[in-house]
Amino acid sequence: MTGAWWDDDDALLGAIKVALEAAEDVPANFVETGKAFFAWHDIDADLAALTYDSASDPLAGAGTRADPAALRNLTFDAGRLTIEIEIIGDVLHGQVVPPQAGEIEVRRADGTSHPLPISDIGYFTTAAPEGTFRLYCRTTGDIVVQTNWITL
Amino acid sequence: MRDDPIVIALVVRAMEGEQAAWDEIVERFSPLVWSICRRFRLSDPDAHDVGQNVWLRLVEYLPSLREPAALPGWLATTTRRECLRVQRLSWQHEKQLAQPEIDLPADEETTQVDRWLIADERDSALRTAFAQLGQRCQQLLTMLMRDPPEPYAKISTDLSIPVGSIGPSRARCLDQLRGSPTVAALIGGAVTTSGRRERRDRRMVGR
Repeated sequence: MTGAWWDDDDALLGAIKVALEAAEDVPANFVETGKAFFAWHDIDADLAALTYDSASDPLAGAGTRADPAALRNLTFDAGRLTIEIEIIGDVLHGQVVPPQAGEIEVRRADGTSHPLPISDIGYFTTAAPEGTFRLYCRTTGDIVVQTNWITL
Repeated sequence: MRDDPIVIALVVRAMEGEQAAWDEIVERFSPLVWSICRRFRLSDPDAHDVGQNVWLRLVEYLPSLREPAALPGWLATTTRRECLRVQRLSWQHEKQLAQPEIDLPADEETTQVDRWLIADERDSALRTAFAQLGQRCQQLLTMLMRDPPEPYAKISTDLSIPVGSIGPSRARCLDQLRGSPTVAALIGGAVTTSGRRERRDRRMVGR
């Protein structure tokens, strides 16, 4: 620590200016997005960990050539419930196993979320989300599970 | 540099699930996270990407943060690593053959992060102290900070104070700011230089 910024009035005023500008430089939505994440800190939901991702499976490449529309397969496992998703084109198809009805939410990193019904056979579908998101699932059997954060 | 009791209290409250405490943490440390992204010259979308990942990771890391005072160090280190990750991705994307070597050995990383933390702590204390000044002082200092400088005649007209009392008022406002608890604690802490090593050890605990 040399040149004490607090001794000299000019230096102190300069330091205040730097400090205020550092805060003004931060975009408001950068701060708001950060705040929104806390709402998703749900200790009651079991975390469904990513157990399979076709993007990191060397064998998945062959399947992709045979079926060029299938872009990505992911599996999240929370023990009592497994969530499988498949991205075909710009559509997300999902299946909960064992099959059961409920509701699933796509929770995006930008703070928005929207709910989707899960059919009686455990199927759900939506447009493939852009950016970082996670799935939050509540079945009619009251199993509550959320996946890791995903970026397609 | 010292363990900021305000930060420690916020972390404890956020760990207990209080949204307002989390909001304050995000507000308090967003300038730190953002400025590190800026140092890495990330684009705005990349900086937002880094910010999201840092806060997401903090939400999940918070329950296992054993030493609340370690939070600033954890945030700076995590942001720095996220910036490096994003940079690597964009290099891969542009298929550059030679990746610039900008990662640092561990001890230099610690020194770099320490410098950021010291600057951030000073900035934060000054912002808090400035916000606690009376409105007149805030207005006067704001005008005096303008670049290019405002003529004293204009300051005098705008704030309805005689030109002759601008200088003494400036000195009085700055003295008030020096005496505010946040700044006084920081000055006191900086005078005893033994704080550096202590803080570094704490940060390691938080990893």
